Amino acid sequence: MTTPERVAIVAAGVVTPIGQDLEAFWSALVTGASGISQSERVEVADLRVQRGGEIKKIGRIKNWRGVPDCRATRLLIAAADDLCAQAAFRPLPLDPTRVAVVVGTALGGVEEGEKALGGDRGRRRLRDALYDAPAWDLARWLGARGPVVTVSTACASGATALAVGADLLRSGEADAVVAGGYDALCRFVLRGFNALRSLSRDAVRPFDRRRSGLLLGEAGALGLLMRERDVTGARLGTLRGYGSASDGFHIAAPEPEGRGLERAIRAALADARLAPGDVDFVSAHGTATPLNDRIETAALKRALGPRAYEVPVNSIKGSLGHTMGAAAALEAFMCLLSAQRGLIPPTLNLEEPDPECDLDYVPGRARPARPRIMLSTSMGFGGCNGALILEGA
Amino acid sequence: MRAPEVRGLGLLTGGPTPGEGASVLTLARPDRPGDRFRRATRECLLALAAVDAMLEDGKAAREAIAGERTALLYVTAAAYGASNRQFIERRGGVVHFAYTAPAVVPAEVAIEFGVTGPYGILIGGAPATLRAIEQAARLLETGTCDRALVLVVEIFEECADLYTTRRRYHGWPLVETAGCLWLEPGAGDLSFQSSRVVHGSSRAGGGERFAAAPVAQLGEWLGRSANGPLELSGRWRGEEARLRWSGVRSHARDGAA
Repeated sequence: MTTPERVAIVAAGVVTPIGQDLEAFWSALVTGASGISQSERVEVADLRVQRGGEIKKIGRIKNWRGVPDCRATRLLIAAADDLCAQAAFRPLPLDPTRVAVVVGTALGGVEEGEKALGGDRGRRRLRDALYDAPAWDLARWLGARGPVVTVSTACASGATALAVGADLLRSGEADAVVAGGYDALCRFVLRGFNALRSLSRDAVRPFDRRRSGLLLGEAGALGLLMRERDVTGARLGTLRGYGSASDGFHIAAPEPEGRGLERAIRAALADARLAPGDVDFVSAHGTATPLNDRIETAALKRALGPRAYEVPVNSIKGSLGHTMGAAAALEAFMCLLSAQRGLIPPTLNLEEPDPECDLDYVPGRARPARPRIMLSTSMGFGGCNGALILEGA
Repeated sequence: MRAPEVRGLGLLTGGPTPGEGASVLTLARPDRPGDRFRRATRECLLALAAVDAMLEDGKAAREAIAGERTALLYVTAAAYGASNRQFIERRGGVVHFAYTAPAVVPAEVAIEFGVTGPYGILIGGAPATLRAIEQAARLLETGTCDRALVLVVEIFEECADLYTTRRRYHGWPLVETAGCLWLEPGAGDLSFQSSRVVHGSSRAGGGERFAAAPVAQLGEWLGRSANGPLELSGRWRGEEARLRWSGVRSHARDGAA
């Protein structure tokens, strides 16, 4: 079996409720900061839960002229602006026709649809309501004229986007790919999760005995991907493997044994030509719903065997909420930063262990460690399971 | 790249010939018995009907596509629009959340037919579907799966009034389409190319079908008993994609048909 072309994640850029660039995001994670607050931008008075990981002001871009008045697009472009700063590029130092954009989202620009149907028939509102509109806006902003791809595997979208981006590089369709995910908080999604009663009135407590649900957050997270042999300077790390599998079980609930996630993890390890014993750190999906964390723990134990008990496993959703389409990309970048900085961010608000969740979840404070191979897991509505294998630089 | 061959194709289309002045050629909501489908949206039920039609075309039982060796790739440009609108406006009954997400359409197929292998969901027009066929070919070539389903659904009726304000962006009439393509390893060649263009429209078979256009093109080609290499193409927004595909026909399917 031939080894697949190695794909480097050269740099990353983010905008999140805990920090509007990569350094601020990392600092907030390792110091245990929380981005959860009362929602101010969205009308929530009639909803059971009125908090989330809301970004109060998108601050990075000084001049939004020419950028649509669409929050989803602006999150993406704010993340791209940070990426450009991190990677020290823009304009792109490449033939623009060889630069692709691949983004994952669970909601696209649906808030524009809400506005349009609410009577604000701005010229672009309906166009921007299509889920692939923000990706095209991003490509225009970057000056990228290669393929533009939008994926929507629910809350696993960010992982799928990074994998599709790697595929574009391996197939030779692009020489550089800006890939990642985004989603904006809007009334549409808050109403939806409110109806499902999966939002917590308490803090988000992944893997804690008292966990009672998730809180939503908004974010944008983008990485610059290139074939490793084409990268001459520094890089953040390497995307070694990806696996996906469908539960085929339920629209909104995970399969009770986590078989789909287990298959995705095994597929990712196989894609990376690695064994469970090679994994040094797991970034869990860890939403803090009673079902998710128990099922995910069981899937990790089966997929990794005894190694599951030997490696740290964290969830960063206690810090910033569940950022949906951005979550997997943010978690992938967190993994690579952990390897680079020698520190694993804690699982915020984990105080009382759950006997059914008996792995090492990094409670309390950040832990010194320098993992080399990392697994990042994602699960989404419709039974979408994704797993990424990453390697530190 | 090694090309897959078509083991079966299910294609439901909103009308054989566009009527004079018709703006949207619609597909009826399939009647699917069972309590499990009480919340399913029209796009979900059309996806299931397309898979049923595909199995019939391939003269196969549903067990033939079940399991973790079957990949499922779903593409749509806008089939979530109807459920999103209904959820926002709370009209015409209740759309239950999560049924607003594009991901639930392939999920219903996965649940109903027991498909538990690799998956992908692309949002876009015809180029996204051509890319999905290429992804399926890659999954088959690398042995990641034994068969791949490429599912497309586009519905327009519930948002017809919104599309009238955007006519400069797409062709006309809008033709609702649901299709599912069953691919297995083949012996031909497949090449995919995409490039930027100024304007995008995904016309095929006498109307605008967005992501479903290439599947409609393929259906026409198979229906003509054509042979030789096939070229599928389509535009969306600023992209044009082309797929050159030899060895499309499957002995298993042609023998069955």
